[in-house]
Amino acid sequence: MATISEKPASVLGPTLSRRQFIKAGGVLVVGFTFVGPELLKGDTARTAVMKNSLDPTLGSSWVEIHPDNTVLIRTGKSDFGQGSTFTAYRQIVAEELRVPFEAITTVVSGDTDRTPDGSGAFDFLGRGTPNIRKAAAYTYQALLDLASEKLGVPKDKLSVKEGVVSGSGKSVSYGDLIKNQQLKLTIPVKGDLTSIFGLTIEGDPPMKPVSEYTIIGKSFKNSVISSKVRAQETWATDVRLPGMLHARIVHPKTLGSTLISAGQLDKSKFPNAQVIVKGNLVGVVAPTEWEAINAADQVASGTKWTDWKGLPSNAKLYRHLREECDWKAAPVEKSHDSKGDVRLALTSAQKKHSGTYQLSYMKHAPIGPTMAVADVKPDGSVHVYTHNQNPQALRGEIAMMLLTTPDHVVVHSYPGPGHYGRSNGGNAGAEDEAVLLSQAVGKPVRVQWMRADDLQWSTQAAAAFSDVEIALDEKGKIAAYQIDHYMPAMQDDRPIGAVLAGLPTMSAPDVHSGGVTAIGNGLEDPWVYAPVPNVIERGHGTFQVGQKASPIAVGLRDHSMRTPGQFQQNYPRELAISEAAALAGADAIQFRIDHASEERAIGVLKSVREASGWDTRPSPRPDATSTGSAPIRGRGVSLMLRSGTYWACVCQVAVNPSTGKIVVEKYTAAVDPGIVVNPMQLKRNVEGGAVMGISHALFEEVMFDESGITVDDWTTYPIATMSDIPEVKVVLLDNPKVGAYGGGSEAANALAAPAIAAALHDATGKTIRRLPLKPAYVLAGLKT
Amino acid sequence: MVTLNVNGVRREVLVPDDTPLLYVLRNDLGLVGPQFGCGLAQCGACAVLVDGKEARSCVTPVASVANQEITTLEGLPARWAKQKGLSAEEAKATLHPVQQAWIEEQTPQCGFCQNGMMIKATELLESNPNPTVAQIKDAYTNSGPSPNLCRCGTYLAIIEAVQHAATIIGKRS
Repeated sequence: MATISEKPASVLGPTLSRRQFIKAGGVLVVGFTFVGPELLKGDTARTAVMKNSLDPTLGSSWVEIHPDNTVLIRTGKSDFGQGSTFTAYRQIVAEELRVPFEAITTVVSGDTDRTPDGSGAFDFLGRGTPNIRKAAAYTYQALLDLASEKLGVPKDKLSVKEGVVSGSGKSVSYGDLIKNQQLKLTIPVKGDLTSIFGLTIEGDPPMKPVSEYTIIGKSFKNSVISSKVRAQETWATDVRLPGMLHARIVHPKTLGSTLISAGQLDKSKFPNAQVIVKGNLVGVVAPTEWEAINAADQVASGTKWTDWKGLPSNAKLYRHLREECDWKAAPVEKSHDSKGDVRLALTSAQKKHSGTYQLSYMKHAPIGPTMAVADVKPDGSVHVYTHNQNPQALRGEIAMMLLTTPDHVVVHSYPGPGHYGRSNGGNAGAEDEAVLLSQAVGKPVRVQWMRADDLQWSTQAAAAFSDVEIALDEKGKIAAYQIDHYMPAMQDDRPIGAVLAGLPTMSAPDVHSGGVTAIGNGLEDPWVYAPVPNVIERGHGTFQVGQKASPIAVGLRDHSMRTPGQFQQNYPRELAISEAAALAGADAIQFRIDHASEERAIGVLKSVREASGWDTRPSPRPDATSTGSAPIRGRGVSLMLRSGTYWACVCQVAVNPSTGKIVVEKYTAAVDPGIVVNPMQLKRNVEGGAVMGISHALFEEVMFDESGITVDDWTTYPIATMSDIPEVKVVLLDNPKVGAYGGGSEAANALAAPAIAAALHDATGKTIRRLPLKPAYVLAGLKT
Repeated sequence: MVTLNVNGVRREVLVPDDTPLLYVLRNDLGLVGPQFGCGLAQCGACAVLVDGKEARSCVTPVASVANQEITTLEGLPARWAKQKGLSAEEAKATLHPVQQAWIEEQTPQCGFCQNGMMIKATELLESNPNPTVAQIKDAYTNSGPSPNLCRCGTYLAIIEAVQHAATIIGKRS
């Protein structure tokens, strides 16, 4: 591919140049260039820009200031319900530019031909410095330079309020300032546009001091909510192109089946339908959706596949993971916080806790199954219309599949059902299939997966287990902590249609596949108990279950899901810490405080203790019981650091020992993200994460047999309903002295599981080290 | 030919009688408020009101609701205006209180399920203008063919929005 993105990165300061802008009614154009060594000779050199891409060295790619004082911003990140692009991003830009929030009238996001930077719908706040903040900060400096020249006032004598620059009794609005002018600003950028992380703006432009913030910290509303509620938003599901055909996919019988023969279409019933076969990909297209659905059902019933039984089945999952997977395939990862002599401390310990913790596979389970519309035109150009977390990465994958270059592909991004990480590597499932079917029929094609397709043919969050050993000293303090995390590869970015059709894709997760698709299991859960003297944290990775054995290289494909990897690592750690506290006869919150040194960690723990009405005492409760039919109550706590934000959570539960049913009665979270950008939006994100976390903890498990995934609807893969939700209390700790804003959406879903499991122990005296805490598993655990 | 009464307008569609109402609304009538979630009446994303009662359009054969009064998300403002006897001008500028509350409470996250959530709220508030939290939870869990599901976990925001809508209705009536 023609790529700007493979240029070596280097960091230079911003350079400015200016020329008369010929067109009337100028636009302040802030451009960024890829700075390679050749650019050191001057600031005019350009690297080639792909067709159908914004030139990141050109201004309108990032921030436009218009003569009417309105502002347009562009970001490669698509909204997935977090709302950040429509709230936090506008607040951040408004703050840096010193314009009102309302001045930012347009947010362009996601579309590969209309946004500059790519990357995925995660880490929106970039740990305090997302691209858009730097873009705005550079723009502000450029505006000051321009104003200084225009007003004849030194830059340091200028001030800006509400988009008007003033100094020495003179003033000019941004709009007037840029009329008939074009300002070029060259800023260093690095990265690979079509990779998961996209492009990153380099350099350190001066940022507005936090103490001067007037817009960040306020609860501005999310504009897209209004258009969705009024049925005025165009969703991906609403896209209809002239001549478009509807399609359904007949997926293979198992996760390892090859096609023997596709079923014959009954033309008397489905006169307008057509069957398309490419390798093991079978699609049925028809002019109407109902005909496509019925024709696909009829074709499916006559389609013959080979059998395959290459999965361990759900019942044997953990035995398979421990005994049959090759954990030596990838180098063992070791955390930077590992220190001391853990082995020695464990051998000489007075008291020791050890345990194995297991988490099942979980689905992203969007409310709407994945869908896409594709239009492969006669000239070979491809347009894809979909809901995607990383449209630039999808663009690269489609190009690779078609043996073409990304400049031939445009991905148009629309709102759709959230899928929490599934497409952050570029695809959620239907996009490439739509492209292949469109190419085959020469018309636009809309592929809509059905509920069963979405549960059985999408990726899932990887199952995992961890072995923990903790030694306590004579004072009941942790003398040593050892954890070994085992998880199959969690990022398979291959588009499934391309895999089935036998067309080129990136490699399946492998030893040398590199980056996030390597099979190594990195340490994702930052250690927060610094005073513990001896620590070892190790991550063990392996191949996806069944993928190598599958004749079609499928098996159980995994993909990062909200709080990826860290969920799988924080759950065992936090439950084990609660067990260590119990072993020490200490209160679980005080025990954590006593083992923490970071003020913000202690802060969220104290806050959650107060807000939840926690009574300080050891667990289990004195009258804990694992028998009887009367509900018994307990409480547990969890702690996490993610993306610059400290989180603590308390869950209060009622357990019925005779049925094993757990009801979460109260959920309290304390969140310290540093600067709170938008309290209302953050609170809603945390509440939503809390509910999802309860769902993960209590209900969610991907059941599979030796051939494939057996869950196929909302009864076999249940998620939390409104009746399952507790009283929820969210405490936001605005902490401006941190000087940055941390993430606020991920983590929220991972806190409940270890807190609920600890609460179960508090109530019953029994610890169940397996998720989900389904009644059947709880019942079995209480009997041991 | 099936004759439908959708959002107060008579519409004729030439589709097989067994076509689910959802596909007719979305593909033939351009009413895209209802969404395809499961096709199994298990989630509520496709919900509409049929004679004031929540129905899952993904499993409702179009011929079975011929001549019944169908209301989609797009028709909620007009439904409210008609119930309140508002003038055409007033009606244009009015949102259904449920929609207003959904915006003011910033309820949706991805928003894909919220069509059904607002339809359920409308059904509930038309029969019970002041529901308790327990009644709201019951309505969303037990009153339909299945619980109304939200994967983003907005249930708390939905409860607050239903209560807020009840307050708006109380003030406006």
